[in-house]
Amino acid sequence: MLTPSEQERYDRQIMIGGIGEEGQEKLKRSRVAIAGAGGLGSPIAIYLTAAGVGMIRIIDHDQVTLSNLNRQILHWEEDIGRKKVDSAKTKLGNLNRAVEIEAIAETITEDNVFHLMDSCDVIVDAMDNLPTRYLLNRCAIEKHIPFFHGAVNGFEGRVMTVIPGETACLRCMYRGPVPQEKFPVIGVAPAIIGSIQATEVIKYLIGIGRLLTNRLLIYDGLKVTFSEFKVDKNPNCDHCGSPLTLPSPQPGRGRE
Amino acid sequence: MPIKVHIHTTHRQFTNGLEVVEVEGSTVGECLNHLIKQFPGMEKALFAKKDKLLNIVEIYVNHATAYPNELVKSVKDGDEIHLVIMLAGG
Repeated sequence: MLTPSEQERYDRQIMIGGIGEEGQEKLKRSRVAIAGAGGLGSPIAIYLTAAGVGMIRIIDHDQVTLSNLNRQILHWEEDIGRKKVDSAKTKLGNLNRAVEIEAIAETITEDNVFHLMDSCDVIVDAMDNLPTRYLLNRCAIEKHIPFFHGAVNGFEGRVMTVIPGETACLRCMYRGPVPQEKFPVIGVAPAIIGSIQATEVIKYLIGIGRLLTNRLLIYDGLKVTFSEFKVDKNPNCDHCGSPLTLPSPQPGRGRE
Repeated sequence: MPIKVHIHTTHRQFTNGLEVVEVEGSTVGECLNHLIKQFPGMEKALFAKKDKLLNIVEIYVNHATAYPNELVKSVKDGDEIHLVIMLAGG
């Protein structure tokens, strides 16, 4: 049941056919892990908080620095030196106090990733490096929960949604390790990509629309073009290649 | 109709700014060889060594993944090859 305050706050999205109060309640019951509170994590967290997701666990080991502020819009000048997750928790709490924000200032590793994602319905990729993305991908596969991939560079970005057991995963096209470098990026690129990732999460949680599954969406901000490429589940993938005996995760169901 | 290769933004410095280069070949590998013949700078942009693509390179033929074994994938006149770079920023 939605409170009168919730009915007013979410009135404009409840009006959307396919959402309604039922959809809003699904968002309210949902628990989302966002891995990263930077360029992608900022718009993802802001829009999922605004939309009324029940719990958001935001994980980032960094402190805010000046060079973050061209794109990490959750963080402001006054936050320099502060832990990013604490800055995020303050801002998101001011936006929507009803959303439970768990701020986790930890590095995601092979040893703790399972625990960090405990009791979450989905994992959202807001990382800045591939090795940790692969950790998250494998965790999502093993936990059998969706993984919402996004990445940016310059004015460009890409998005894909992974439903374990059903679709291609991030590892399906793995070629080998890539060198880790400082990447160029302008804020408007993760703004677009993070917003699309948040859109995918909302659609999945409510159970509406068509997801970017087996579809790699590539955005070029310089030309403002979106290109879509079909990708396939790889039977020899070292993350998702083994047959799974569990049923596929059901969209539209928050935790019950 | 020749085969069109779409060049990634960061590689257009090697193709005189061209976004699309026309090539000939019956496999992706042959097409890339023709591309490199026209623009030698593309070799280091795409390959770690002979017949081994860099790990960050993704190849799509007619908007579908050509992975794995991209270089031997068949192509025909009128096909489109997109050269894409895996992104890692966030």
